[in-house]
Amino acid sequence: MTNLSTKTDDKAELASKVNDWVDAEEGYIDRRIFWDDAIYSLELERVFARCWIFVAHDSQLPEVGDFLTTTIGEDAVIVSRGEDGKIHTFLNSCSHRGNRVCFAEVGKTRRFTCNFHGWSYGLDGSLKSVSRPKSYDGKSNFDKSRLGLHQARVESYKGMHFACFDPDAPSLEEYLGDFRWYLDVILDNDEGGIEFIDGNIKSRLKCNWKFPAENFVGDSYHAPWTHSSALIAMFGKQPTMRPDRSYHANANGHGWEFGLDFIGNAATLNSPQILEYLREHEARFAERLGKLRSRMVASLSSANVFPNLSFLAGHNTFRTWNPKGPRETELHTWVFLNANAPEELKKEYRRGVMLTFSPAGVFEMDDGENFENCTAVNAGVVTRRQKLHAGMGLDSRIEHEELKGNVHQSQINEANQRAFYQRWADLMNAETWADVPVR
Amino acid sequence: MNQAEKIETREHRAVSVDLIIEIQQFLYREARLLDGEYLHEWLELLADDIHYWIPGVQTRYRNDDAKFSPTRMAFFDDDLEYLKIRVARAKQPSAWAEDPPTRHFHLVSNIEVEPTDTPTEWTVHSLVINNRHHADDDEMELKARRVDLIRRHTNGSLKLARRKVILQQTVLQAKNINTFL
Repeated sequence: MTNLSTKTDDKAELASKVNDWVDAEEGYIDRRIFWDDAIYSLELERVFARCWIFVAHDSQLPEVGDFLTTTIGEDAVIVSRGEDGKIHTFLNSCSHRGNRVCFAEVGKTRRFTCNFHGWSYGLDGSLKSVSRPKSYDGKSNFDKSRLGLHQARVESYKGMHFACFDPDAPSLEEYLGDFRWYLDVILDNDEGGIEFIDGNIKSRLKCNWKFPAENFVGDSYHAPWTHSSALIAMFGKQPTMRPDRSYHANANGHGWEFGLDFIGNAATLNSPQILEYLREHEARFAERLGKLRSRMVASLSSANVFPNLSFLAGHNTFRTWNPKGPRETELHTWVFLNANAPEELKKEYRRGVMLTFSPAGVFEMDDGENFENCTAVNAGVVTRRQKLHAGMGLDSRIEHEELKGNVHQSQINEANQRAFYQRWADLMNAETWADVPVR
Repeated sequence: MNQAEKIETREHRAVSVDLIIEIQQFLYREARLLDGEYLHEWLELLADDIHYWIPGVQTRYRNDDAKFSPTRMAFFDDDLEYLKIRVARAKQPSAWAEDPPTRHFHLVSNIEVEPTDTPTEWTVHSLVINNRHHADDDEMELKARRVDLIRRHTNGSLKLARRKVILQQTVLQAKNINTFL
């Protein structure tokens, strides 16, 4: 196994080949990007250590001392609500010998204390105390103010907190760009925004993280085929996707494929109460978002915020694809709903997502199988030489008077996938954020 | 076994050997139906008011009791209607992930039968290991602790009325759960 992560020359040489890996114009993708250890190492540095990564929704950490643990790339982090009421994100690794300072995935605390030598950190990651502090008396460079846990920047958009380890990265607002206008469809269709339902399902897939991320960014093409069994079991028929009333839209590699059918996704949740709630509120959604965007609130759709935060409007699920090596991914799944929705809808959404899009869900069950096999076959060296085709809808770009970003006609399309890989290539190719174009 | 005998054993917080064997055989038969993907026959073992629950379990500190909760996300939080939807999907010819079929076994052990306040219902503890092989080299293993409520139906047969399955894993080490535990 090669690891080129620290050698600058090797990095530059590897990065110079990025344009061979991704041909976003013609839609050809090199399979090595789903397999190669060296490419993966560079990806951790140039994508995950550089981008804004979703870490928590505000409602998950309502009180001072609430915390959760997660990862940014393969860097373990603690996300906590500090004494200042703000969300902080910092490495879950002691400044002394590097041991983890928090072992729970969620909880409430006043301090994160290392088991090894008793170094104890506050809710903002600052070093508060160590055991036997007098041992550092005399000539010493021991300075608590310099030995806090390494901090990430934290910025939020309408309750969604993102963290970023790159001081030179643009603001979250710039990073999201025109995609904020789309995110409002779920984050801001009702006064009070959304809240996350308690709990979080986590599972491991033996696949490269980009397969599921690109699946959510644009692949409605797979839905009627892959999910035929669930669709027939639940409805006895396939959904209707209308090319003239559906789109791919993307900005900076973030993308949403969607119809304007209003409730297509929500209809699979097996809950009349949810459909009733949506229909009752349709006019209010339109007041807030305008007629066009209100038709996206729960429509047949899927989306991904680059790199690894996917969601389904209507199903009301967010998920992150956390890399664990080039061939393994840890999936974290949450359910959300409008904060002002009736309390009884929590159970409806929670059970609806469970039945459809969770590891035991009737839809998602078939996805994992595909992602794993798309990854595993690349063990073959000859197989790896064969480029993947992602060329659907090359001429589908349109100008739309309302829809923002790069818009393509028809949700059966691969325009968003190409935009996702283009953004990935831009970042892999760039020495610094200054070299990353706005897309 | 008559009703008086059951009540008698209940007072001793113990149940008859006959009943223990009957419940063990019920659970073994259930496991074999699942191994063989006889899912419609498996549904027949369930009471109409079944609650089948596999909660998500979280890694929390010892002083934090909330490792799982009924209001939190779950892998299964099913009534009979939901279980039937899952079975209907698994039996579709287009359930691609089921063809070639998964090779299953459900190993059930540590069965303990306890009486409840209802003479026709028993709390049954057990451990289960579900070993799955699929295609050439795809192996997954789920291990869990179960607490069931098993009920004597008016027709004399045993039915599963409640099942709580606590997985050993907080991060599921598998792409899916295409079976029941």
